[in-house]
Amino acid sequence: MADSEQVPAAPPTLAERTVALARDVLGDDVLEVVAFRDETTIIVPPARIAALCQALRDAPELRYDFLADVTAVDWPDRVPRFDVVYHLLSIPTRAVVRLKVRVGDEGEEQPHVPSVEAIWPAANWFEREIYDLFGLVFDGHPDLRRIMMPDDWTTHPLRKDYPLTGFVLPDPHWGGQVPFGEPLPPGTGQQTLRTPGGAPGDIDPEK
Amino acid sequence: MQLDEQRILETESSVQLDATRREDTMTINMGPQHPSTHGVLRLILTLEGETVVKAIPEIGYLHTGIEKTAEAKSYFQALVLTDRMDYLAPLSNNLGYALAVEKLLGITDGIPPKAQFARVALVELQRIASHLVWLGTHALDLGAQSVFLYAFRERELILDIFELCSGVRLMTSYIMPGGLQADLPDGFAAKVRDFIRIFPARLREYHDLLTNNRLWISRTKGIGPLTAEQAIAFGASGPVLRGSGVAWDVRKMFPYSSYEQFDFEIPVGTNGDTYDRYLVRMLEMDQSLKIVQQSLDGMPEGRWQINDPKVVPPPKWQVATNMESLIHHFKLFTEGYRPPVGEVYQRIESPKGEIGFYLVSDGSAKPYRMHVRGPSFANLQALPLMIEGQLLSDVVASIGSIDIVLGEVDR
Repeated sequence: MADSEQVPAAPPTLAERTVALARDVLGDDVLEVVAFRDETTIIVPPARIAALCQALRDAPELRYDFLADVTAVDWPDRVPRFDVVYHLLSIPTRAVVRLKVRVGDEGEEQPHVPSVEAIWPAANWFEREIYDLFGLVFDGHPDLRRIMMPDDWTTHPLRKDYPLTGFVLPDPHWGGQVPFGEPLPPGTGQQTLRTPGGAPGDIDPEK
Repeated sequence: MQLDEQRILETESSVQLDATRREDTMTINMGPQHPSTHGVLRLILTLEGETVVKAIPEIGYLHTGIEKTAEAKSYFQALVLTDRMDYLAPLSNNLGYALAVEKLLGITDGIPPKAQFARVALVELQRIASHLVWLGTHALDLGAQSVFLYAFRERELILDIFELCSGVRLMTSYIMPGGLQADLPDGFAAKVRDFIRIFPARLREYHDLLTNNRLWISRTKGIGPLTAEQAIAFGASGPVLRGSGVAWDVRKMFPYSSYEQFDFEIPVGTNGDTYDRYLVRMLEMDQSLKIVQQSLDGMPEGRWQINDPKVVPPPKWQVATNMESLIHHFKLFTEGYRPPVGEVYQRIESPKGEIGFYLVSDGSAKPYRMHVRGPSFANLQALPLMIEGQLLSDVVASIGSIDIVLGEVDR
């Protein structure tokens, strides 16, 4: 696995060609290239993600024509706070790559990411899902509405600061949630994940 | 409620901008409690007479927060959540999750051959079972009631095999990270061979009932067309993609769990209509049976789990007699294992298409993030392409041909 590098005569693998193309297109904007378990991740700034995706889709020798997945990861203690992760696949060449952007300034409630819906229509629902569950806004998305939660939901459940047990909702039940920035009623959200001090029922032995 | 009305009005106004609009445009709601939406899918349809001019799928009625729940479970516990996504193919979900965790742990190469072959046999049986439910309900939607009863009769045989292995018919959790939960039981091979003997004739019966049936052809041929370009652009996978003529199967393209040792073909359609998707699934059942046969014939001897007490619990008799094993057992069930910091994406070919597990580890005993790329979720996105411009009565045929499971769409 790890010692497949440094072989001089071997032709560049698809992953290497992808990274080379990314460097051609973005130059120094390629922030980081990570290889882990035979998977390549290219980390780029959010402003350039659409340009890179367009280039990868149109590159004649790679042709990433299939957007397998878009998702996000929340790192509440980190700035920028969110990862948006794209899994690309090429049906003609069988190449795979993962792209990642990091967004969210300190205290920014709803960070913005450029949409790739115009490049792959498949991104439509995946981006809606992230908008719904993480609260990231995709600029240029034609139909950015909630997809899983009810339309009048005000919070974003997959964020790490959203308690697993949910909130105790004041009546009326729907639409009566706690808005952003307001303190929770006492006694709610007992099982928040990874809060300092742990929580009852949390089996993480580090705590 | 108000928002819904507003959206329906918006839909209507967008239709009104269309120059070809007729006076009798009407917006109707289909589902979520509609027997032919295979769960709780809701469609907002704008009709001109009987023709659908615009369709907006609404999902989320079965959103259970599985991804959120998994973040609070250890890797070992999160396995049972995966059964409950695509509840018609729990073993396929188990396999995808198990492979993702194994990749994260870096133990993929350590999985014994017997476990790999058994996994292949089980997920292929699961594929047949899932396709049987699809076949039965799809035919039922279009008015062929007897196929439904026959398909469920055969599915029961497969569920009996699962019950023999794991003690449960549906939510087996039998495939787990590191191997299988338990060794294959004694009567397994005999029971599967029975099924292999019985099933081809039954499959021919289904073909006799539907494949050349004029009613079936007129309800499915040319209905819900999807071109290959559209299917790829919208992220469709599995039989929907193959029905449109793209020979893409994760089992062939990125072999996992020793699929590279099996000999099978990928059935591919040409027209991308409901009939082709039907045929692709019917032919896939043949191929799956072939794979199960090969798996039984070539089933290696040996362990059914990786020999690593940090990942799989030691046998019970050792726990009772051996101090080390007791410690391993205790650590595994109270704490679990800690994969290194990193992230993996594992794709497998589930009966519905490409199911992908994206796991992020922060070095703790719980997945920091588990995201599931549900094949039904992506396939369902292509539904408006299939049904816009078609008749209202064909909407049901198109929904059936995608084979959605809302548990996986909404997660």
